[in-house]
Amino acid sequence: MPKKFLLPLFLAVALVFPLLPFANDYVLHVVTLVMVYMVLAMGLNVLPGFCGLLDLGFVGFYGVGAYTAGLLTVHYGVSLWIMVPAAVLNGALWGVVLGAPTLRLSGDYFAIVTFGFAELVVLFLTNEIWLTRGPLGLPGIDPVSVDLSFLNPAWIYEFEGERPYFYLGLAMLALVYVTMRRLEDSRLGRAWLAIREDQLAAASCGVNIYAYKIIAFGISAGVGALAGCFFARWTLFLSPDMFKFWESFLILCMVVLGGLGNIHGAMVGAAILIALGEVLRVVLPQLGLPNEARFLVYGLIMIFIMRFKPKGFFPKIAAAGEANPLIKRLRAQLEQHGGTSR
Amino acid sequence: MTAPAPLLKVDQVYKRFGGLMALTDVSFDIMPGRIQGLIGPNGAGKTTIFNCITGVYKPTQGEILLTPPPASGTTAESIRINGKKPDKVVALGIARTFQNIRLFSSLTVLDNVRIGRHCRTSSNLVGAMLRLGSQRREEATIIDASMKWLKFVGLERHALAPASSLSYGDQRRLEIARALATEPALLLLDEPAAGMNPRETADLDQLIHAILDEGVTVLLIEHDMKLVMKICEQLIVLDHGERIAYGPPAAIKDDPKVVEAYLGRGAAHA
Amino acid sequence: MLEQQLVNGLTLGVIYALIAVGYTMVYGVIELINFAHGEVYMIGAFLCVTFITALGLPFYVSMLLAMGCAAGIGVTIDRVAYKPLRASPRLAVLITAIGMSIFLQNLAMIIWGSRPVPFPQDAVPAYLKETAFTFSGVHLTWLQLFIFAVTFSMMLLLYVIINHTRMGTAMRALAQNRTCSQLMGVNVNRVIAFTFALGSSMGAVAGVLVAVYYNTLSPTMGYVAGVKAFAAAVLGGIGSVPGAMLGGIVLGIAEALGAGYVSSLYRDGVAYAVLIAVIIFRPSGLLGKALVEKA
Ligand SMILES: Nc1ncnc2c1ncn2[C@@H]1O[C@H](COP(=O)(O)OP(=O)(O)OP(=O)(O)O)[C@@H](O)[C@H]1O
Ligand SMILES: [Mg+2]
Repeated sequence: MPKKFLLPLFLAVALVFPLLPFANDYVLHVVTLVMVYMVLAMGLNVLPGFCGLLDLGFVGFYGVGAYTAGLLTVHYGVSLWIMVPAAVLNGALWGVVLGAPTLRLSGDYFAIVTFGFAELVVLFLTNEIWLTRGPLGLPGIDPVSVDLSFLNPAWIYEFEGERPYFYLGLAMLALVYVTMRRLEDSRLGRAWLAIREDQLAAASCGVNIYAYKIIAFGISAGVGALAGCFFARWTLFLSPDMFKFWESFLILCMVVLGGLGNIHGAMVGAAILIALGEVLRVVLPQLGLPNEARFLVYGLIMIFIMRFKPKGFFPKIAAAGEANPLIKRLRAQLEQHGGTSR
Repeated sequence: MTAPAPLLKVDQVYKRFGGLMALTDVSFDIMPGRIQGLIGPNGAGKTTIFNCITGVYKPTQGEILLTPPPASGTTAESIRINGKKPDKVVALGIARTFQNIRLFSSLTVLDNVRIGRHCRTSSNLVGAMLRLGSQRREEATIIDASMKWLKFVGLERHALAPASSLSYGDQRRLEIARALATEPALLLLDEPAAGMNPRETADLDQLIHAILDEGVTVLLIEHDMKLVMKICEQLIVLDHGERIAYGPPAAIKDDPKVVEAYLGRGAAHA
Repeated sequence: MLEQQLVNGLTLGVIYALIAVGYTMVYGVIELINFAHGEVYMIGAFLCVTFITALGLPFYVSMLLAMGCAAGIGVTIDRVAYKPLRASPRLAVLITAIGMSIFLQNLAMIIWGSRPVPFPQDAVPAYLKETAFTFSGVHLTWLQLFIFAVTFSMMLLLYVIINHTRMGTAMRALAQNRTCSQLMGVNVNRVIAFTFALGSSMGAVAGVLVAVYYNTLSPTMGYVAGVKAFAAAVLGGIGSVPGAMLGGIVLGIAEALGAGYVSSLYRDGVAYAVLIAVIIFRPSGLLGKALVEKA
């Protein structure tokens, strides 16, 4: 089947999916969860995948986004149109603030600082009870309501059940996916890849390494916060436990499984690990093992992939720019002239 | 009529690494429109000079001045480049290749050169996200310019192959194409003939002349004396971080200090 | 009770130092943050308990055995996970180290259960729990003295090994320049294995000491202690062994004071805050050399 039908087909299936008979609340919930993790995986991918930087505290930005959204809703009843940008900007801002002093240092230090940041976020959320209600969690977040009353007073749509969230999640996924594809195949994305491949050579081509790393960190953090924002308004309850290191690890594992730097791979990785998690949740107790033991499997996956399949389990489905019409035209020309284009 | 200003002026540069003086009081001028050579035995400090010029290292002492060719109607102005970062230096018009090839090896040949266009293009985050018209036009010009330079070095057929799949000689050419894509006034080549067979070396000779015809001045580090003597108009000889000779190849060849540096003490007297 | 807190902080600090040298030595020779080191520390403690309860061995013997096993585990981790990746990008090894850490933690959870268990008290020599000195209101138990003594002698041993043996010379050479040392005839893999063995056995001792000191051990104990010890290593200057000792002590005291005077809720936060602040303001640490990206 020609590649160009793939995307419309995928979209059509996705749009019809919630209406199918077997798509009950549980199924929809899991699929929506997969979409949230796909967004997270794509957001994290920017750092280790595009820039070669290990971010061990990605969940911190997810948490910042979620709590920003949750608190703004609970305390101020802020409308969606303000809440989403506020949460995303807050996440991105923390990324920039954290990145500015650390991105000049070697990558190992970056990994550690991100880790420490995420731990501090959890401590803050746990201990600042006046603000977050601490370990008890933050209940009473209103579901999403899309307020278009400035266009027509009757246009206020309150979300109910899993189905509307599925569509909202799909929209978020599509937005992030398109953005990531565009970034990857642009002057900005190439500069990132250059940094990943060889920093000195990148600088010798005029790439301001420091600035581009900060941009990457800001974007990654912003996407994490966006996912957090959705998560808060979907589960309607937040607790600090949801944003522990395990989450960072899980998301990193998705990216590694799909192949560092591979946008499609990251999404496939997310789907597989969420599905695997659901299966293990049933299987592990039957083996008499605690639910956390599933991380044993994730740890093994990481070790094995780095050892035997460092490009991931899903070799690039489409390399950066393959879809770019300019590159396609070039390829056609080269083939006409009998060139090699391995 | 006064002589043209030097394109690059290296003035009493010192570079110290801990206890090691890698460069001591090195001075020379690079005149525009010429091929000049930088030679010396292993460890003489040649690469260190390149690193100082391109901003990888900051000289411990001394000045490096660049006088880019003036745009029509303006007078030439010198810019101090010692201490500037590599990305600033390349934007000012000095590009380089590396002694041990440093390509973006898992990217395509074309992408390597496209990244070379980075410092001459400007589309940013917003442009990329919204795919603005200006960004799309720029992308097209980036590809055109990159393909032009790939043709220039004879690699256009491999444009979409991974850089790592090229032969050694082709990788060196790709590095040159990537450097040229930054539109330099001065190109620094660090041992471009290393590891090349005689055929490839002969092609390189032609390529360097073609680069000169494009209006790019060339400073070449090379151990292949036949090549150096043939194509350079002026030579700078370093030994143990010091400039021991400076002049046209014919004069350098018989300079006893140079013979001694290469062949060891005593050889000059023999 | 400032003095008491200082003493308690110092006790904790020397233990951090013991773990931190493991991080620092490995970083010195292969420039890798061995995230799994915290897990070796935890496994060391569990092995010691297992030897006591399952084999009925005496405390000191179990501790020595646990050290030996931990050394073996450290070397195995390197052989299986890190060694094949010596030529890979840094990122790949770092990810492997994280994976290894998580794997070991969960393996321990499957073997020994996820609940914290007490240290078998009857195995611990009774005098250790008694107060040795009381000095103007400050209590010092024999156990604390034992911890100081063990740490001090381990550090002394380490100093002698690094500075006065052929293996130590090779380690320092490797830290300076890998290729050069190889050319000079240093058996790189043996030195790396030795480094892992040495660091891991010291980690195991620390694990046992902590388990006895707090009378509890759990599979997650390596996680927090690992981060703190790493913070100590960074504080002292990663790659520097004296730095790791100094960093551990400073961190232990800072933590005890922070918990006492600022807020006990942020006790663990002190380590993270120190970590971030040091990296941002003084990345070379107290005694280390700068680690700015070589462009
Ligand atoms: N970053 C550095 N730190 C310490 N010493 C250095 C560094 N870079 C170069 N050196 C030393 O400076 C001296 C000059 O090195 P350089 O690479 O410039 O030599 P070269 O003339 O390019 O030699 P070759 O022909 O082998 O390439 C050498 O002794 C080298 O060891
Ligand atoms: Mg050189």
